[in-house]
Amino acid sequence: MELLSNLASPIVIGILMGGLYVVIALGLSLVFGVMKVINVAHGDLVIFGSYMAYAALTTLGLNPLWWILPSLPLFFILGYLIEKYLLNRAAKISPDAALIIAFGLALIVQNASQIIWTPQTRSLITDFTMTTFKVGRVYIPLVYVLDFVAALVVMVVVRQFLQRTYLGQAITAASQDRQTAELMGINPSRVYQVAFGIAMALASIAGIFYGLTFSFYPSSGPALLIIAFGVIILGGLGSMVGTFIGGMIFGLSQTLGGYFFGPTGQLLVPFLMVLLVLTIRPQGLFGR
Amino acid sequence: MKAIMRKYSLLGTLIVITVLAALLPVIGAPKTWLLYLFYFYVFLAAANMWNLLAGFSGLLALCPAAFIGLGGYTMTILTWWGIQYYIGIIVGGVVAALFAMLISMSVFRMKGVYFAIGTLVLPAILKLVFLRWKPVGGDFEGGGAGYMVKGVRAIPPEVTYWLALGIGLASMVLILIILRSKFGLGLAAIRDNDISAASSGINVFGLKLSSFIIAALVMGVVGGIFYMNNGYIEPNNAFDINWLMIVLLATVIGGKGLEWGPLFGTVIVVALRFQLARYAGISLLIQGLILVVIMLVAPQGIVGLIRDLRKKFMNQQNKKLPSSS
Repeated sequence: MELLSNLASPIVIGILMGGLYVVIALGLSLVFGVMKVINVAHGDLVIFGSYMAYAALTTLGLNPLWWILPSLPLFFILGYLIEKYLLNRAAKISPDAALIIAFGLALIVQNASQIIWTPQTRSLITDFTMTTFKVGRVYIPLVYVLDFVAALVVMVVVRQFLQRTYLGQAITAASQDRQTAELMGINPSRVYQVAFGIAMALASIAGIFYGLTFSFYPSSGPALLIIAFGVIILGGLGSMVGTFIGGMIFGLSQTLGGYFFGPTGQLLVPFLMVLLVLTIRPQGLFGR
Repeated sequence: MKAIMRKYSLLGTLIVITVLAALLPVIGAPKTWLLYLFYFYVFLAAANMWNLLAGFSGLLALCPAAFIGLGGYTMTILTWWGIQYYIGIIVGGVVAALFAMLISMSVFRMKGVYFAIGTLVLPAILKLVFLRWKPVGGDFEGGGAGYMVKGVRAIPPEVTYWLALGIGLASMVLILIILRSKFGLGLAAIRDNDISAASSGINVFGLKLSSFIIAALVMGVVGGIFYMNNGYIEPNNAFDINWLMIVLLATVIGGKGLEWGPLFGTVIVVALRFQLARYAGISLLIQGLILVVIMLVAPQGIVGLIRDLRKKFMNQQNKKLPSSS
């Protein structure tokens, strides 16, 4: 009984934190599902999103939650342009070329952030940063709840968009079978540009919530990329529901790993799980 | 006669350059030169091995840091047990190769993207393991605090330099030999089409595994030599994604899948690293820009670009000849 009540806190925090991981992983999952490109710059783009929110907070005094509204179109356009002028050309050269260009992009974004905002650790501090409330014997920080709510909202919106709108259906079609989609009159390059734009907008949301939850510095990106990969691999590449469950599993194994094996167990346990899943079931727990 | 000349001119040039490079510390070359060259040899060896994996074997292995870090750690821990550094460096290579063998049971079941992701996770796992595990030393050493390499002061700087030169040269010779052997022919066949290679009786799995283990061995030795010169090792540096960046930049800028590619690429990476050392962020920013531009303009890298330009030039010459006569 003692163990169970002690475990309540890591379980609740793990599930809520899993929500944040879902938001981080969704953009990566979408790009891979549609374009079959591993966007290794994703982690750095998320951190860039955190820095943009930080800039808005420090210069304009804008609450990071309000910053979501202008940042969505801004990052969408940025992603649209990156796809149109960089990745689209790379994909024609070779499959590896897109990956290597994404690496170059990661270097550029990471070091541009470092030059602009210095390597110092930053965080998005607002009036609700320290707010916690108590449920039973568990203290829950408000930002973790916000992360989870954001994950649910983003999931539902993206899912509705992919199923209900023409553009969303075109994206789904192109990701399932590019040639047939082309025959049906869908312009794949346009679809890719929109998909990458959406992935970037998702990265900006992820960046804002990551910045609200944790402190960040310019080289936090690669670690986030590996976490996002972990979430996708656990859930299955290209599967939306899988990504959601993958995020929960990752968050839970992180907090429970930390509870049983100390601070280094936090990431060691989920990473070993990722390797195990890749070995036994490379398509992920919920992939087909 | 001409063919023999051509065959031995390459070997001759290589020997002359090596002898000259080896004499540099003896004739009192500036210390900064020697440092640049040290980095050049070490990065060249790592980049050559990555080229063997990604360029020739079709294995987009994103885990050079795992092999380099393991090699470095093995060498360091052995010096704590009173074992000489040169033995430690070799054992480091062997440990990295054994690790490659062990991990291949898992990652070689994955294909394409999954292989890339699986290998990307490896250095992250090793970093966490070494942050926690303290094989030697007291409470104040090991883990996040890292280890000093014991007895590093007693090693003369020339020896470090020659070791680096040795591994750089060995990696280059190894690549040249592999590409001219049956092994290299097999790899080329796999790279072009692995299904038809398999149906022609090539052991696809075996060849890929061999190049994975060879690359791990050399990278392990590279790690030992690098951290011996560094005098200090800690997990965040040893298993950092920077190692991947270095080998990837050097290989891609020079020309991925071309035998001389990493040589040219490493010159540029080392030059940028030191010329812009005072502005760390800008140096990497520029390297990122070069990477993107090279990939879009000349996907075969500098060596590929030179080859294409030469071909074009030769064609023009050939066209001119009949009209002028």
